[in-house]
Amino acid sequence: MRSVIGLFLVLTVLIIVPAAGYVYAAGDEPGEYLDRRVEIWNLFFRMMTVAFAIGAVVSGTIVWQVWRFRESNPNAKPTPYEEKGEW
Amino acid sequence: MVLELQKPRPIWQIMFSTHHTDVGLLYLISSLAFLFLGGALALAIRLELFLPGSQFIADAMTFNRIFTVHGTTLIFLFILPFASAVGNYFVPIMVRYKDMAYPKLNAIAFWMIPPSGALIWLGFADFTWYATPPYSIISAPGPAADMWIFGLKILGISSILGAINFVVTIMKCKHPDMSLGQVPLLAWSFLSSSLIVIVAIPTFAAALLMLLTDRLGVSGFFNPAMGGDPIAYAHLFWFTFHPEVYVLVIPAIGMMYEIIPRFSRKPIFSNSSGIFAFVLLAIVGFSSWAHHMYATGMSFTEKTVFMVGTLAAVPASAMHVFNFLATMWNGRIRFATPMMWAVGGIALFFSAGAGGVVNSAMPLDFVTHDSYWVVGHFHLFVMGTIAFGSIGYLYYMFPYVTGRMYHERLGQVHFIMSFIGAVLVFFTQHVLGLFGMPRRIYDYPPIPEWIAMNQIATIGAMLIGVSMAIFLGNMIHASAKGRIANMDDPWDLGGKYYYPYQNKNPQH
Amino acid sequence: MGNHSNWPEWIYIGVVIALLVWVGAEAWNVERIVEHVPEDAEVIKVTGQQWFWTFEHEDGTKEIGELHVEVGKAYKFEIHSKDVNHSFNIHDYVVLLDAVPGRVNTVWFAPMEAGVHDIQCREYCGLLHYNMRGTLYVEDPKA
Repeated sequence: MRSVIGLFLVLTVLIIVPAAGYVYAAGDEPGEYLDRRVEIWNLFFRMMTVAFAIGAVVSGTIVWQVWRFRESNPNAKPTPYEEKGEW
Repeated sequence: MVLELQKPRPIWQIMFSTHHTDVGLLYLISSLAFLFLGGALALAIRLELFLPGSQFIADAMTFNRIFTVHGTTLIFLFILPFASAVGNYFVPIMVRYKDMAYPKLNAIAFWMIPPSGALIWLGFADFTWYATPPYSIISAPGPAADMWIFGLKILGISSILGAINFVVTIMKCKHPDMSLGQVPLLAWSFLSSSLIVIVAIPTFAAALLMLLTDRLGVSGFFNPAMGGDPIAYAHLFWFTFHPEVYVLVIPAIGMMYEIIPRFSRKPIFSNSSGIFAFVLLAIVGFSSWAHHMYATGMSFTEKTVFMVGTLAAVPASAMHVFNFLATMWNGRIRFATPMMWAVGGIALFFSAGAGGVVNSAMPLDFVTHDSYWVVGHFHLFVMGTIAFGSIGYLYYMFPYVTGRMYHERLGQVHFIMSFIGAVLVFFTQHVLGLFGMPRRIYDYPPIPEWIAMNQIATIGAMLIGVSMAIFLGNMIHASAKGRIANMDDPWDLGGKYYYPYQNKNPQH
Repeated sequence: MGNHSNWPEWIYIGVVIALLVWVGAEAWNVERIVEHVPEDAEVIKVTGQQWFWTFEHEDGTKEIGELHVEVGKAYKFEIHSKDVNHSFNIHDYVVLLDAVPGRVNTVWFAPMEAGVHDIQCREYCGLLHYNMRGTLYVEDPKA
């Protein structure tokens, strides 16, 4: 249940809030112009959040695999292909 | 002195040979020489940028020439010829044929490399490796510019000849008992990249010719005063060079497909996914070129089309990452030097791709275009993925070429220093770009953050430089005095070093 | 070869494609709103040449190497080049667009606070590309 709430929170921040923001987007009068810096950097930081999250998963997987499947690991067992020596 | 020392041959026998292993060896030596030359230029650049102001490069013109020749050398005189070296050596073996389809043409394609290298280095042009007009027409000083143009013309022809050879060898000369689907993935990588070369390079050949006639004043393709448009060059250039970056990376991924399964003691997770991903990338790679041109004033619709084309190429690369990770899963992995380089290369390949996806988002390009973010991004590809994969494969093929083993400890030290160095230089450069530092600048204002990050990057570059010196020593010493390798299984993995049907290297 | 189930691979590809669609959609949306130039934006003609920037305001005022603008107004830059490719960049305001001879490129911005910012060239243009810099002064409106 907690993970569902957590996921919902992340999705809200990353997608729904900005989307709602665009509905009330800036107009054309002085004082109401949109600030391009804010829009662009906002997009950038949202993308970076996703990219780093995925990066953590991918590099975490690589690091874990390198540690778990190294041949010097006490739990290392031969692959089925080693029997015949062909892979 | 020749590398294959078990039965030394006179050097002129190798130089005049058309046998695929000899041509492969020539490509290998030439590409490694240019790796060190281009790398030395990189160290000069990083040393100069350590602090604002002039360090030891006296003027901006010299600096501009150095980065131009650095880029040109490492792409055209190291990465591409190194891939040709590996391809020449192993593609005939992998398809069970006696040589390449056109051995004499093969040798001719190699021998175009030294004269082109000489033209580029003796000219030392300053207009960046893009050679964009109008600068390359109006202001770039000749004869350096014209020598560069001729050098690249010849290299383009060499690439196309090599590509034709690979395509015919793989598709027409493969053993009758072998279906295309059974051809090893490394050979498939050469097939895909060669098909891209045949389609993409002629466009650049045309652009070079147009650049030359514009320089001579007889045409105005890129000169607005004569009715031309500089943006036309950008389209022609990037139509070739976006697919070309896939030509650079695909063989390196193919090399990782040789190393990772072998050292994981498992076959590749999905051969068909690998083949599909190579072919898909080769095709979709043609749909994204103008993402390099977002800042030239393209319309919103045009930019959207190319953004979609760029993103469409990502799943193919993602398939390779999945394939490698799934291959290592439940393996029993020996982390010898080649495997370290291959796995390090995959990790950096992913980071490079992630940064690229960010860049392809049109508005974000306003932050990152022509800044050090781009420099960090593409170097993660060319150094982090391609050079890492290539160097790992060089260690892997070392026993095959020389009959000896390299020094394992030194190889691991080389990897660790290079990996840390690459992260220090290229990840930092992404942030440097976000802080606004443009690329291709000789000097920069004394902004404290810029100075700090430039210094971190320089330290990383020096780490890589030292590790490459260790590498050079390892290669030279081990090829003469390394212990004789067990040619059936040099790393004692339990599997085969050679393909089951393969003859041992006839020189041993 | 490899006769194992490959549903993990399909799910992985599905996730990758979903992410890329999201990236594309977000980028398209932000670009769309950022490119919308307000109608009352004041035009400033920017000219890049080797190796400095010049500016011409609507009222004919010319400036070399520096640009003075007012807080709260929208400005539209029409960017020209006299010789080779340059790129007009005010990094702090994420203004970036190439100056290409033979065409005029347009980008706009609306500064909301006073300050001093760097203008740089973001396209290699030769010897002094590294020093083709200027200064943007955003000033409070003279009441």
